[in-house]
Amino acid sequence: MQLANDAAKSSGYVPGQPDMWAFVIFESFLFTGYFVVYMVCRTQSPELYLQSQAELSLRIGTFNTLVLLTSSWSVARCVQAAREGAFQSALKQAYLTMGFGFVFLVSKVSEWAQEIQKGFGFSTNEFFSFYYFLTAIHFLHLLIGFIVLGVVVYQLRSPARRSLELVETGATYWHTIDFLWVIIFSLLYVMR
Amino acid sequence: MNASFENRLLVVWLALCAVTIVSLIVGSLDGRVAHGTNAAITTSAIGIAVVKVRIIFREFMEVRHAPILLRRLTDAWVLVTATSLLGTYFAGLAFSMG
Repeated sequence: MQLANDAAKSSGYVPGQPDMWAFVIFESFLFTGYFVVYMVCRTQSPELYLQSQAELSLRIGTFNTLVLLTSSWSVARCVQAAREGAFQSALKQAYLTMGFGFVFLVSKVSEWAQEIQKGFGFSTNEFFSFYYFLTAIHFLHLLIGFIVLGVVVYQLRSPARRSLELVETGATYWHTIDFLWVIIFSLLYVMR
Repeated sequence: MNASFENRLLVVWLALCAVTIVSLIVGSLDGRVAHGTNAAITTSAIGIAVVKVRIIFREFMEVRHAPILLRRLTDAWVLVTATSLLGTYFAGLAFSMG
């Protein structure tokens, strides 16, 4: 484990499977495409977007961002603990990450429910179509993230498995959910 | 757990949370006026977001130790995303004024 730790500190170490990184880069550019389409449409009717955006809660958006950032922190600690052979601690951090992910999930569903109750659905207007599309596709990635974390937990639970590479791969995926949300938050909730 | 790495992760997390709170403040500066296009708020919001993403890449995802190709690819994505989003926004503003 110390060897893996040293390798991580030296230059040229890719955490996790390179295939996951290829996926992350691909997904990131795909999301940039969605974001640019959103921005182009937004410039066509800025008043509509600003009025609709005012119906979202900036505080809930901020809370969701803080929750995902905290989940990223805990999964980073999970990787570090696994590297050092502290598997119980790594397992605890993996469960914590799942917990924060679950808080985000509940918060997001309740936010959708509130917006729908106020009468703002997918087809209300263009802004809300983007809002539901971007948050739902992100939500789908979050659900896949729970399966990925399940694999991490499965790896950590038995001494016979414990592949550090798979733990790092799972963490790389989870961080991707986090940083994509950071951009979504700025575009849907904060910008004017 | 390695104390120095643990502390580094803690500082990174605190910094990310702090700039998120700055985003909340920036987003509230205009009192959430429905009709107000505001280039300063937009630039700050997108600027803060891409800085956060780069910190997540480099610190949490450990790209700072990665081969140069991965470092360049992630930086390129951050740059392309920031430029295309702000470029589209300001092109739209210029078009609506002109």
